[in-house]
Amino acid sequence: MMRLLALFAILFGLVAPAHAARLVSQVSNDTVEITSSFDGERMSFFGQIMPDAGSTEKVVEGPFQTIVVVLGPTQNRVARQKTHNFGIWLNTDQVEYKNFPSYFHVLASARLKDITDVTTLTTNYILPEAHTLMPSGVDWWKSAVFGRELVRLMTEEGLFGIQENGVNFLSDNFYSARLTLPSNAPPGPYIALTYVFKNGEIIARKSEGFSVRKIGFERFLALSAVQQPLLYGIICVLLALVTGWLGGVLFKR
Amino acid sequence: MQIYLPIAELSMNLFFLVGIGAAVGFLSGLFGVGGGFLLTPLLIFSGVPAPVAVASVTGQVVAASTSGALSHYRRGGIDLHLAMYLVLSGVLGAFGGVATFAVLRDAGQLDLFISLGFLILLGFVGTLMLIESTRAILKQRKGIVVRDRLPNQHSWIHGLPMRVRFKKSRLYISVLPVLVIGLFIGFVGSLLGIGGGFIMVPALVYLLRVPGNVVIGTSLAQVVAMMAATTILHAVQSQSVDILLAFCLMVGGTAGAQFGASAGKYLRGEQLRGLLAILVLAVAIRFGLSLVLAPADVFSMAVLGARQ
Repeated sequence: MMRLLALFAILFGLVAPAHAARLVSQVSNDTVEITSSFDGERMSFFGQIMPDAGSTEKVVEGPFQTIVVVLGPTQNRVARQKTHNFGIWLNTDQVEYKNFPSYFHVLASARLKDITDVTTLTTNYILPEAHTLMPSGVDWWKSAVFGRELVRLMTEEGLFGIQENGVNFLSDNFYSARLTLPSNAPPGPYIALTYVFKNGEIIARKSEGFSVRKIGFERFLALSAVQQPLLYGIICVLLALVTGWLGGVLFKR
Repeated sequence: MQIYLPIAELSMNLFFLVGIGAAVGFLSGLFGVGGGFLLTPLLIFSGVPAPVAVASVTGQVVAASTSGALSHYRRGGIDLHLAMYLVLSGVLGAFGGVATFAVLRDAGQLDLFISLGFLILLGFVGTLMLIESTRAILKQRKGIVVRDRLPNQHSWIHGLPMRVRFKKSRLYISVLPVLVIGLFIGFVGSLLGIGGGFIMVPALVYLLRVPGNVVIGTSLAQVVAMMAATTILHAVQSQSVDILLAFCLMVGGTAGAQFGASAGKYLRGEQLRGLLAILVLAVAIRFGLSLVLAPADVFSMAVLGARQ
């Protein structure tokens, strides 16, 4: 994530002077609350492309394309491969991906390949595969193969995805995007990176944060499991003993 | 109705959870076993991460065995002295099991060991039970009167050193086999999320020659105490006990167990054992197939390190 932000800062400095534009944007909710009935959450992202501060123009000329990248908290993930040995299937090979996003969705106003070239997409971490790139010195072929499989598995879980019709332009320079966070969206800090493209180049970008967190009873349970594990365990056992005893009393064999 | 499980970090249908709890509870009441060996695989197959399934079912087994243990206690069907030895060695085994659990999980081999463990254990016990119960049923058909084993029959196991007198079981036997049984069941139980009643009962009957009137009660008391300790160990070590998941299973399980116990009265002992053997073998075969058959997906993924 830090790496991403650093890159973001550098690129912003380089790109901004060419086509000056400013993005005013907003996320519908800055906290997504996980309650006992949490079953996913719909979110919207919207924004307007405006002339840069100090510019004499009243409006900026399009056509624009927008990509919104939503990134979840990072984790260390492994991808494992089973092979057939001595008649049984077992995990024999694995590649570890450090600081791998636990959630990654791309919303775009057009097909990604029509918006810009693959280099821009990769260097800005807009393609899921970009997150599986490894520092040099690692077996890059193996990490690429496992990385592709990891992206596929994450996609099957609904944690990774690309929606190339996810962003709608309501006017020439006003867009809105919708995203449904799944119920298995991992809790933690999220970041939504918005890129505005014109003729294949990034002319404006903005990042917004929101957090997905457990609240109320769920938060209490999850916190006590980590902070007071002994007490939590003892309470689990007491609960089990009381439930078992009560069951016996209620049904009187 | 969906319910969000805070430790498993996914939402599941409440009725589904209570339902499988009740179904397994019915079977456990019917056969007098904890039901962990059915519930853990069921949860894993329905998408709960294996570590959470194993740790939470441990809590459920406590609840499922409590009412049985209490009613046996009231009837005087528990040899507390014997149970104490089993529990002490069992907790020691559970320490080993929980530590091994963490090592295997980080090495990515936990699923393999759970499958192998279930396959070997259930396959072995299931086959023995099936043979024994088929013989009993056939003898019954031929009209041969089956006499219970005499409690004072001794084998070489009883002759080992460090003999202790267990008054209630009317046994004066070496404490070593008792400790080995406890240790083994503690280790396997905590690793696989099972109470081990279906290993404990045959071990007490055939190895130690514990009389029939205290076998079930003692085994249940041992399961309650050992699984309680294992639950706490899992909560401290891997923090993967989901109290909500466990509670849903408990509610279904205790209710189902009562109906199962009443249904069990209509079946004869050897018929029950035969049915249980078939069930145990079916689970073993399911695990065996998952090892031998080509998996639908040779790739899998996992999150490493501490949970946030």
